[in-house]
Amino acid sequence: MALIEAAGLTKRYPGVIALDDLTVSIEGGIVGLVGANGAGKSTLIKLLLGLIEPTQGTAAVLGFDVCRDRPHLRRIVGYMPEHDCLPSDVSATEFVAHMAQLSGLPRNAARERTADILRHVGLFEERYRPMGTYSTGMRQRAKLAQALVHDPRLLFLDEPTNGLDPEGRDEMLDLIRRTGREFGIAILMASHLLGEIERVCDSLVVLDAGRLVEAGPLRNFTAATGRLVVEVDGDRDAAAAALRARGLRVTTDGRSVFLVEPADDRTLDLVRDVVAELGLGLVRLEPARRQLEDLFRRSEAATPEAVRV
Amino acid sequence: MSEQAASSIYDLGYARYSGPRLGQAAILTELFRYSVRGIFGLGRGLGSKVAPMGLAVLAAIPAFAQLAIGALIPREVEVFRAEEYYGYIQVVIALFVAATAPELYGRDRRTGALVLYLVRPLSREAYALTKLGALSAALLVITLGPQLVLFLGNAFASDDTFGYLAREADTLPAIVASAAVIVAMSAALGAAIASQSPRRAYTTVGIFAAFFLPWGVASAIVEAAGGGPSGYVLLASPFHVIRGSTLWLFGADPEPSSPMATADLFGGFYLLAALALAAGGTYVLLRRYREVAV
Repeated sequence: MALIEAAGLTKRYPGVIALDDLTVSIEGGIVGLVGANGAGKSTLIKLLLGLIEPTQGTAAVLGFDVCRDRPHLRRIVGYMPEHDCLPSDVSATEFVAHMAQLSGLPRNAARERTADILRHVGLFEERYRPMGTYSTGMRQRAKLAQALVHDPRLLFLDEPTNGLDPEGRDEMLDLIRRTGREFGIAILMASHLLGEIERVCDSLVVLDAGRLVEAGPLRNFTAATGRLVVEVDGDRDAAAAALRARGLRVTTDGRSVFLVEPADDRTLDLVRDVVAELGLGLVRLEPARRQLEDLFRRSEAATPEAVRV
Repeated sequence: MSEQAASSIYDLGYARYSGPRLGQAAILTELFRYSVRGIFGLGRGLGSKVAPMGLAVLAAIPAFAQLAIGALIPREVEVFRAEEYYGYIQVVIALFVAATAPELYGRDRRTGALVLYLVRPLSREAYALTKLGALSAALLVITLGPQLVLFLGNAFASDDTFGYLAREADTLPAIVASAAVIVAMSAALGAAIASQSPRRAYTTVGIFAAFFLPWGVASAIVEAAGGGPSGYVLLASPFHVIRGSTLWLFGADPEPSSPMATADLFGGFYLLAALALAAGGTYVLLRRYREVAV
């Protein structure tokens, strides 16, 4: 059974198409949802949570329709919103236990699990303090705790490292990876930071301006591209010209690095020979791998808030 | 801190939960409990307790005054009668609603927590109505509570306590019914206004205005016109509606030369107006919560 299945899923607001005819099937594990700000990540998560109604199309989460089976679905998913959502004058213990009971846990079970979860996210010492006194990192942990306390089968995380310093970000990513890998909770994690996605996720859904760009396992996104990366020390243009003369396709990007096609053994030999003949230094010669950033090269010109690593 | 936090993450793991998951009734009960506590500022800072607790005490002062008088003076003295009580405390009721309803509804929108409620097995309507129930329960405490104290106080103040109880027992239905009507109307009116904005400053003033402006305006119109069809404007004034439906339920008359005596409406109209305000307020609340963005 697919974790998430969408067919023609569309959300239109007056004057804006937030999500445009999304058809995708996502398998379990830790799934990254990538796109620039405004790409439709939060809209997709809210549609899947049944917080907003689709204009068109259908979606199923864990085999349950997001509109028809909403009450049942809500018992087995957890949600960590992007924005602040914690009252400042309540302690994490009180708030998380309240949230657990609102997910249907009996009072005693809610209290026990609250203590366990706050320990799991590393907030045990601070659990009786009002959340208004928490640092950003602690608040993010409390947000994660309320999403996990009722033991969901699927966790939606919207920009979970928002506002964290590098150390806090590492800890949060580690926590997410452990929650997904060791406890078997499926995770859909939205982020505009490709580096985070690469570190944590098994598979990827890429959105751009409300449309699906690509979806699949992470390795698909970093597969070999059929080109070689060549970096020479010296007269780069001469080397490129010599390789072109031997019938290879050469692309330069204005630096000392250029790309050569096709990436087979004969080309490797040719590059070695040509560089040697010209008396240049061969600094780098390797198969070019796709970079996640490549996905956004095209859209970068169009959208000012482009994706950065 | 981070090292210690990281180690606690590693040492003590996450556990799966396989115990029971309760139904809608338990979920709504928890929201109700949490909301009532919130209304009185329980589990929050001292500042959150001052207004609701202070107003609850104010609402009960006449009743306890009667108790004290009954204890001190060994004759039958009824300083405060049941049908007058809501007249004494109606300003306190309005202030209580103005002080608590904006926080009850606005808080979760200001803090952003509303979305955490709405992703749980809880519909938008159930959320809004459960909070309305919590506000109604809190209002019952400050209206019906003092009335019951008053009832017992008057009984003990009487020379013949059991005779009083037997004689006055038939006012109990009116005491309960008038409290229910007043509470339903005031809570729905407050919730309808409180749901319009997360900003407490606006909605508090709005609720205050909804009670006090029509009161002054309607009284002035009736006094200027001196009777006639303009008397029906009193039905648009929550305070007059509270007073009118209470008097009608107790079978009592408004004091002479008051706007209500001048208007001389059939008392049942006030009750109908109260029910209409309760229904209208609830409708506005539900419609608002269907479209609140999260």
